[in-house]
Amino acid sequence: MSMLLEIQHLKKSFLVPGHKGSKAAHLKAVDGVDLQIAAGETLGLVGESGCGKSTVGKLILQLLKADEGQILYRGTNLVPLSARQMRPWRRQIQMIFQDPFSSLNPRMTVGESLSEPLNIHQLCKAADRPEHIRELLHQVGLDAAAANRYPHEFSGGQRQRISIARALAVQPELIIADEPVSALDLSVQAQIINLLRDLQRHHQLSFLFIAHDLAVVEHVSDRIAVMYLGRIVEIAAADELYQRPHHPYTEALLRAIPRPDPDLAGRPAPLRGELPSPLNPPTGCTFHPRCPYATDLCHQQPPPMEEIAPGHQTRCFHHKLVGKFLKDRK
Amino acid sequence: MYAPLQKKHDGPLLQVNRLKTYFFTRSGLVKAVDDVSFDISVGETLALVGESGCGKSITSLSILRLVPAPGRVVEGSILFNGQDLLRMPPTEIRRVRGNDIAMIFQEPMTSLNPVFKIGEQIAEVLRLHRGISNLEALERAAALLEQVGISAASNRLRDYPHQLSGGQRQRVMIAMALACDPKLLIADEPTTALDVTIQAQIMELLAELAKDHQMATLLISHDLGVVAGNADRVAVMYAGRIVETGPVQTLFKNPCHPYTRGLLGCIPKPGDKGPLQTIEGQLHPQQNTAEGCPFRPRCATACEQGLTRPPQLRELSPGHFVRCWKA
Repeated sequence: MSMLLEIQHLKKSFLVPGHKGSKAAHLKAVDGVDLQIAAGETLGLVGESGCGKSTVGKLILQLLKADEGQILYRGTNLVPLSARQMRPWRRQIQMIFQDPFSSLNPRMTVGESLSEPLNIHQLCKAADRPEHIRELLHQVGLDAAAANRYPHEFSGGQRQRISIARALAVQPELIIADEPVSALDLSVQAQIINLLRDLQRHHQLSFLFIAHDLAVVEHVSDRIAVMYLGRIVEIAAADELYQRPHHPYTEALLRAIPRPDPDLAGRPAPLRGELPSPLNPPTGCTFHPRCPYATDLCHQQPPPMEEIAPGHQTRCFHHKLVGKFLKDRK
Repeated sequence: MYAPLQKKHDGPLLQVNRLKTYFFTRSGLVKAVDDVSFDISVGETLALVGESGCGKSITSLSILRLVPAPGRVVEGSILFNGQDLLRMPPTEIRRVRGNDIAMIFQEPMTSLNPVFKIGEQIAEVLRLHRGISNLEALERAAALLEQVGISAASNRLRDYPHQLSGGQRQRVMIAMALACDPKLLIADEPTTALDVTIQAQIMELLAELAKDHQMATLLISHDLGVVAGNADRVAVMYAGRIVETGPVQTLFKNPCHPYTRGLLGCIPKPGDKGPLQTIEGQLHPQQNTAEGCPFRPRCATACEQGLTRPPQLRELSPGHFVRCWKA
């Protein structure tokens, strides 16, 4: 399988100014991430807020500059490229954001928003543009009349459809979708997920699907990477990860999915405590303060990433034990 | 100065009868809440479920008489311990708010005041409703923070909201809500803005506190997973009306309204990679001003009768009511 995108040892930290006498500190948002996405594949990236998953998406698009590491897109390293050099690659990689209310310009009609990328990348003649926009709107299930209306005239789900049409306008190969459905109602969420899957089949798109909801990610992804405090802690095929998690954090995330079954009421919360401050991460394995399997070893040294089955890697000393809390699952 | 509602009263703690809250907007009348009735007993948790715009939050704001203009309660009664909240003078309803009935909101960052320390904000509730001294109130505040699982509570009293994480802020909101030992807690999407792992912790905390304090809860949520795990009874709302209501077991095991079934079908099932079931179309805020069944335009099993006549709630089994011609 040829890799469309290969991320190698990616690092990004932010300088957090000190206050009340404390010194400025480096927040390691992304701390050595390796990922690959094959052509036509959907890679899910999950984790709690603050784990660095959105930063990874922005680094790929060069909206943020990486401190270290490589982002190889079809073999070309994007990291050293200038804004001008990056421009042709932006056509290949597009992004869909979480909040469809703030990601569309309220002063532009939908048609104007959609023709802007066509203009910038000189993708079609001015005369053909209306036809092209009609086609784009049709693909995302909107009426051609939508082109003359403003974003505020649409519901959240429809706006997300417009954002998707805008991303598709430049015929990209890879779409980075950062929590594309978490602001939407359940019934609309299902519509958008189905739409993304149809478009993927139709255009042979690859996706990096960033989300905190493991149930949705499991449904759309071929492979899933789980992130905790700036690092990938487990990566596997979606079914494999769901059936046989080998990192305690993945196990906890799976148990935390609220399930529409009243018989499961009263289960204890799977994790105590909150995400530790990334300014002052715990020693050893960064998950150990919240981990039910933690031993002295975990306090002392960080576990290495280990391949435990083909395509299944995990970063845990006790990965063989993981899974004992999942028995309550049907 | 503190006068709790002392009158002993048999029957449910809260009885909402035929509540109608309408919005008189420039573009026309919106029946946000259209003839909604339900009750909650002491210590019970009722979940109001539905999508954005279905009227669930406006229902809860109607209970506290906090409906924003141009909205207005136009009809109905809301009996709390036998007294009608809708006909109380403003001074009295202020005594009920935050005291007998407390509320927590979805977004803990916007519902806490960013320029006051959290200790002050909790103490204010106690000073206002209990009339105790500031020092005493701060001591109580520390105890409350301890109770909601914030460690080293007395040191945290001087923190500002921005110094806390989302989960901690929601814990502070819960501490404020509990300050006066309310008999009813209205929790409006209490965990929607939080991560799943923190969400599980907060729901667990709410359940424990409700049990310890014999507190009834009106849980407002769009998340059927959260509802299944935490409610005794469920009411599903659509276009300002309750379309199905029943005990949590019945509703999840034997959903009878096509909307309830549709919502349950939209949830991704582990291991199933096929296309998700959807409910076509979307909720229009003014759908219920038309004749007939408001759900008909989206209904997979739309019927003849629904075209002209709106269905009424019918009892299918004890406590299980459905508003559908075909159920």
